[in-house]
Amino acid sequence: MTRKTFTKIGMFIGLVVSIPTAMSHHSFIAQYDPEQPVTLTGVVTNIDWMNPHVYFYIDVKDPTTGAIENWGIEMGPPHMLQKRGWKRNSMKIGDVIEIEGTRARNGSTNANARKVTMTATGIVLGTASSGQTITSGKSD
Amino acid sequence: MEIKTSHTVKYFAIIVALYALSLQAVFSQESNGASQRPVPRWPDGRISFTGPPDVIGNWDGPVGASLANDKIYNELFPQTRNLPTNLEIEDVPFQPWARKLYETRRANYGKDDPHTRCKPSGGPRMFHTPYGFEILDLPDAGHIIFISVGTPHSWKVVYMDGRPHPESPEPSWFGHATGRWEGDTLVIDTVGFNEKFWLTREGFPHTAQLHLIERLSRPDFDTLRYEVTIDDPGAYTETWSGGWLIPWVDGNEPFDYLCQENNLDGRHMDAIDN
Amino acid sequence: MVWKILLRSHGNDRGSQSVDMIGTWPLTGGKVRDGLSYFLIGLVLHACSNGTDATSTPAASPPEREQTSLAAPLPARAAPRYADGQVILDRVPGELGYWGPASITSMIEKGIKVAMNGQGLLDNLDDADKVAPFQPWALALYRYRQGNGLKDDPVRACISPAGPRHLHTPGGFRIIQDHNYNRVYILFGGGNRNWRVIYLDGRTAPDPEEVVGTYYGHSTGHWEGDTLVVESSGFNARFWFSNGGLPHTEALRLTERFSRPDYHTLKYEVSINDPLTYTRPWTSEWTVEWVQGGDIQEKFCER
Repeated sequence: MTRKTFTKIGMFIGLVVSIPTAMSHHSFIAQYDPEQPVTLTGVVTNIDWMNPHVYFYIDVKDPTTGAIENWGIEMGPPHMLQKRGWKRNSMKIGDVIEIEGTRARNGSTNANARKVTMTATGIVLGTASSGQTITSGKSD
Repeated sequence: MEIKTSHTVKYFAIIVALYALSLQAVFSQESNGASQRPVPRWPDGRISFTGPPDVIGNWDGPVGASLANDKIYNELFPQTRNLPTNLEIEDVPFQPWARKLYETRRANYGKDDPHTRCKPSGGPRMFHTPYGFEILDLPDAGHIIFISVGTPHSWKVVYMDGRPHPESPEPSWFGHATGRWEGDTLVIDTVGFNEKFWLTREGFPHTAQLHLIERLSRPDFDTLRYEVTIDDPGAYTETWSGGWLIPWVDGNEPFDYLCQENNLDGRHMDAIDN
Repeated sequence: MVWKILLRSHGNDRGSQSVDMIGTWPLTGGKVRDGLSYFLIGLVLHACSNGTDATSTPAASPPEREQTSLAAPLPARAAPRYADGQVILDRVPGELGYWGPASITSMIEKGIKVAMNGQGLLDNLDDADKVAPFQPWALALYRYRQGNGLKDDPVRACISPAGPRHLHTPGGFRIIQDHNYNRVYILFGGGNRNWRVIYLDGRTAPDPEEVVGTYYGHSTGHWEGDTLVVESSGFNARFWFSNGGLPHTEALRLTERFSRPDYHTLKYEVSINDPLTYTRPWTSEWTVEWVQGGDIQEKFCER
């Protein structure tokens, strides 16, 4: 049995026993396009701590033109974020943050965030995204 | 991968066995996990659908669950919690108009789902809506009350006092529900639904003739088994059944969820063409 | 005897016209606020609100309190109790019922009496400063809301009538004691058919400065004899916590006392402590009547 064969077997096992983890729920699919991942860095301009989703808004500067676009970023509901350690002052207007997420299907400057990083501190905050597999982090 | 030697054949057999097991685990489960905790019971022996006093938690309606196995939806969000007895979508006895409507809703990613406009989640919808629901079994009051977060933030009554359904119930989101115990299974019979909600997020249609027979049981501490029989001659040519498993989540408690306060989902979805 | 009569206009404006036409006057005749006169001789007009109308008001259907006052007095009956002696704030086995009409339909400081309708709309705007010990900004806001005929009321957008207001919202409520998890649920028949949970397990409430405010706040409770005492904090300020639009902020803390002096009566006392809105803590109280044999009907606000 060659090393190469072992590797192939290992990969095959990995493939067949892995459980799908990208559990995108339905409303997420209707609003956001998994084929359009986005990574954005911007300055927080507003935060709406409301149900069914917390939204925050960031000014994103286009690196080539310098134009500023305001993006709306969706996360899970307030309670779910707080269960993951968010406090109401975890993010403040003026903070610089980076988000990884999925762009709105309708082409608007909106996205669903999977991960939020506070640029100044490097702290990563989970978003209770409706596009994630966390058991109690799904919405709708 | 080359099949060369007897060693390789043996490893291949192991792989096939593992693959078969994984499929078994994904598509045929009747249990959510290997919980060793005993299923709790009330002092009179009745099975409990909540926790013992020292185990706070509740039931989290799973996203990966539907009334039937639909390969197209399965690609979008794998339905790992469907009951092994669920029909394939091709075998669901839709009336022709209902199948067409279901397929249209599927093609639109369910963009018109009333639930995402903060409308109440009638019928099976509540049972695969996340954020948790509690089951208050109140025999002294003659009913069971479902306290739900995702419905949104509302409560549903199942009468356990032996009363019949009214002759002509006023159509409502939750219908008129009566229940009884069959051993450790709670059987809920409901009529009198309005037509303003979807049976599930996948958009199974129904009419005002809808009559549901739901069966809830708890095969182990961490699993609530939900199975429903759909009896709606207006939308289906015969009765049919489906369901899923709902996981217990330790520590879950009911929380404030006023969907109406800032719902932008509709605005985001209306851009999708029919 | 005074009968509340609601005349509803069906204009495009959702509600402000109908508010103007609400009046309370003696059975033999009277004038409504908009200047029209209606003479009623032995005739009661009753307009039921559409069950799904977000502008439903407490006066939309004949208050059951007034119906029962026409019937024979209710037989005296002691408050029911569990085997361990705790008062039951809900049904007794085998019987139906729920908490229905309240003795006043708008929250006002205890001991103060001003004329207002079932929605808490003052008959006379100059009575505004008597209703509660307002900070100046709060009085101005209250007067503004009242002067507008309450048309900015968030219930019109299906925002819950939370706080003490829920006990004044048509549809009734139930109080469910869950001895398993040591909680009390209040189930509401009006508004959005919401529930509220009160924790009796001795937990501490989170610091309102650190948590996002909610409509129902965070409530903890304990029994003092036969009285359920509930402390709440952590509210947001996006709803009106009374009929008529008394303001509040996220600094609001409530202490509520629920007791059942007899089978038919719930006594409710609430202390409002919001130093940003009011110059001192103040108290309101009312009673709620049990509707024996009745059941809460399903109703959802629909917009």
